[in-house]
Amino acid sequence: MAKDRLNEVLERYEAVIGLEIHTELTSLNSKMFCGCPVEFGGEPNTRVCPVCLGMPGALPVPNQAAVEATVLAGLALECEIARFSQFHRKNYFYPDMPKNYQISQYDLPFCAHGHLDVEVGEGDAAYVTRIGITRIHLEEDTGKMIHVGGSEGRIAGADHSLVDFNRAGTPLIELVTEPDIRTPEEARRFAQTLRTIFLALGISDCSMEEGSMRVDANVSIRPRGAVELGTKAEVKNMNSFKALHDALAYEIVRQADLVDAGGRVVQETRHWDAAAKRTSALRSKEEAHDYRYFPEPDMVPFEFTEEWIAAIRERLPELPAARRDRYVQTFGLPKHDARLIAEDVPLAQFFEQAVDAAGAKLAKPVANWVLGELSAHLNATGAAVGSCGITPEMLAELVVLVDEGTISGKQAKEVFAEMAESGDMPAAIVERRGMRQVSDTGAIEAVVVKVLAEHPAEVESYRSGKSGLIGWFVGQVMREMRGQANPAVVNEVLKQHLDQ
Amino acid sequence: MAEPRRIVDMTGAQIADAIARKELSAREAAEAALAEIEALEPRVHAFNQVTPELALQAAERIDAMVASGESLPPLAGVPVAIKDNMNLIGTRTTCSSRILENYESVYTCTAVERLLAAGAVPVGKCNMDEFAFGSSTENSAFGPTRNPWDLERVPGGSSGGSAAAVAARMAAVSLGSDTGGSIRQPGALTGTVAVKPTYGRVSRYGLVAFASSLDQIGPFARTVEDAAAVLQAIAGKDPMDATSVDEPVPDYRAGLEAGVEGLRVGLVTDMLEMEGCAGEVRAAVENAARVLADLGAEVGEVELPMSRHGLSAYYVIGPAEASSNLARFDGIRYGHRVKDAEDVLDLYMRSRAEGFGPETIRRVMLGTYALSAGYYEAYYGQAQKTRTLIIREFADAFERFDVLLTPTSPTVAFGIGEKASDPLAMYLSDVYTIPLNLAGLPGISVPVALCSESGLPIGAQIAARHFDEATMFRAAAALERALGLDMTPPLVAERQR
Repeated sequence: MAKDRLNEVLERYEAVIGLEIHTELTSLNSKMFCGCPVEFGGEPNTRVCPVCLGMPGALPVPNQAAVEATVLAGLALECEIARFSQFHRKNYFYPDMPKNYQISQYDLPFCAHGHLDVEVGEGDAAYVTRIGITRIHLEEDTGKMIHVGGSEGRIAGADHSLVDFNRAGTPLIELVTEPDIRTPEEARRFAQTLRTIFLALGISDCSMEEGSMRVDANVSIRPRGAVELGTKAEVKNMNSFKALHDALAYEIVRQADLVDAGGRVVQETRHWDAAAKRTSALRSKEEAHDYRYFPEPDMVPFEFTEEWIAAIRERLPELPAARRDRYVQTFGLPKHDARLIAEDVPLAQFFEQAVDAAGAKLAKPVANWVLGELSAHLNATGAAVGSCGITPEMLAELVVLVDEGTISGKQAKEVFAEMAESGDMPAAIVERRGMRQVSDTGAIEAVVVKVLAEHPAEVESYRSGKSGLIGWFVGQVMREMRGQANPAVVNEVLKQHLDQ
Repeated sequence: MAEPRRIVDMTGAQIADAIARKELSAREAAEAALAEIEALEPRVHAFNQVTPELALQAAERIDAMVASGESLPPLAGVPVAIKDNMNLIGTRTTCSSRILENYESVYTCTAVERLLAAGAVPVGKCNMDEFAFGSSTENSAFGPTRNPWDLERVPGGSSGGSAAAVAARMAAVSLGSDTGGSIRQPGALTGTVAVKPTYGRVSRYGLVAFASSLDQIGPFARTVEDAAAVLQAIAGKDPMDATSVDEPVPDYRAGLEAGVEGLRVGLVTDMLEMEGCAGEVRAAVENAARVLADLGAEVGEVELPMSRHGLSAYYVIGPAEASSNLARFDGIRYGHRVKDAEDVLDLYMRSRAEGFGPETIRRVMLGTYALSAGYYEAYYGQAQKTRTLIIREFADAFERFDVLLTPTSPTVAFGIGEKASDPLAMYLSDVYTIPLNLAGLPGISVPVALCSESGLPIGAQIAARHFDEATMFRAAAALERALGLDMTPPLVAERQR
């Protein structure tokens, strides 16, 4: 879809978007109400027990760490934490739900009334918008249905269905935003920013592909200036940030086209098809579900004290936005670079350790190396920053070698490649390969004289005005010296001789 | 108490004692119980499953301990029967329902595990009202249990099988579960001692849930001492049940001889005056109060007007929780499943319609309705408010009294089929017991008389403060000693001859 088309629609209509985001607490050791491990995939029905299979007589015992993780998320998003809270049962029948009720929260969620400030756009067009967070609650995930005999694993046309309960009972937090989002880009930035926060909190791996972070959106449009809300559609199955953006853009234009043609938006759930790049109605009418919520009698309510909440607050790490600002202020990093590092917890830890080792005045070159060679290396090898073979100390030493003029930037790249391969410290590699950069003016001068003598025509051209040839001369000298000359000194000596 | 004529006439304490003194082997005790079951079961039908292999294995372990001189656990060799809504590996756990007719336990209920760890020998799984819905054990998919005092009468329910097994001496003690009176009422109707502990005193893990906020497991026995010993074995915090409470468990048997001198007993007069309370029941409870007074207790009168609304609140809260708890019986993972379902909805509807009996369907529908949008506040919300008021009323009463005395059941055992077609009349059976479940309080039913007309047992209920089962046992033991009733049913007398 043309971006112009969305912009044109958004000139006439205002989109009103609210998100509902489910995040599995994948970093926990055990499920929400039993001791089974939390992991992705695996042989079906191997991580199950009487509790998460809903066997007769089994009882749920709440995972305290999951409760704490939820409250931690609430505190990170400026929520009010309930002093009194409890679980409710949400009753409905579905084969992926062992008890035919989901233990969830209803009118007493752990966290409510929070907000997240989201930065949208780049450069001059950048702005900050505050998105309200209605609530964050804790619940258990369902199992997974596997439909056999139909097309693409969909239930329609399937011959029979199997259920895998490995995921059943995985702790899941549900975050609901206020309808404060106005554009697909704001929605995408909200989800991305939230993800960086959850990653910083260490509560989830937030993988949209594996489904550990699932975003649904409610979207409606209204004429610019109107107060009354339009009829909303719920959009599901957006498995990436791009899908979230594209599905919302599609849906806004679809609703505008409908209204422009004199039609009406119906309240329904729509499925995003990423391949076809369109949404389609999943259920023609919202089924009138009556979940018969009532307080979960198998558990006692939670009463959180000020002290307990304060203790959780103590565990809040520095969040990405604060970390980015610190990098800008303390190290003078460009905002964009600071953000890229700050939003990636392991990368930020690596960066800070390297800066500690190299000295704060080298923070900028360290950042360049982290975002340049190191990130490229991680992308190429698929390794995690903690296990890629390059330590913060190695990178720091390399940056210092360049800063002290011992090796050139070009040489440093070779050293980087070799230390990534061998795991040796850069100084040792420089020593072994005799890569010490020559800054001795006398040695360089001898080569310069030789190069100029061998290329009289180029010298003539340079002197008659083609000053750009200086780079070519530098290259010739460097080649003669097998790259070990200090390029700044070479440049200086060349100019002295050429300009006399 | 008369000298026991047979092994099965011995109390649990006597059996454990005789085994410890090597006058009796656990195997002999188990075989005697199994033989008694074989003789009487066709007439009583207390069991859904008899477990001779489990019993003999457990007995052999005890005998091996005796042989090797190991110190014995407190219930060593005591034959125990278990209500069929508690999981025990190696048995089916059917809840007397077609939907679980072939369901094999995959783990063992905490209370059962603790009882077996205390040396008890499991002889079988007891019949009950389906999913514990009922007060007569007539709502069993496998046929009613009969009262050993009169085989044409019900033993009460829902733990009727557990009560009848102990009354008929097919087991020395048994476990039941009590949601609204399902231990105490059959206790009264079969002349046994029957205990519902404080909510949270005994783990519910492994007990197939009826109403999670009301259910408690408790013992049946023929003496207060045995009941206390069984509760001792099963009580205490369980990490698998978040509603079990980490409250110290005192030595219940230590205080049984202490008497009731100075104990403040509240006779609940408005319950005695309630319409439907049989004259002899009232007279028997009033007599029990006099006996306690003669023993030095300070007996006073108290009214609990809110409690009369307990029945209504209970028939909202109980079915509401049950409708949700029973949702898992859907034919997907276990239990009865129709073979030719067209789709998943058809599978659910027909599996459940075929698997559940009429009373179960009635309760699930009642509960579903009570929780429905638009009705929740009027029913569930109102019932919870009533529950809060009942809790306060009891709290006030326990400011003045240490224990409260009421009838257990308004009538003696009624005839099989007599109330089967009138659910409301049946529900009234539990009018005295339900308030304690709503308030989470402990209660014990002890035999206090035999009806002069019918010869059937009459029970009195003694209620105590939360976690004060010790005082309740002390009062019950004093009454038991003073009354000195011979609670031998005609069926047992016949066997003794």
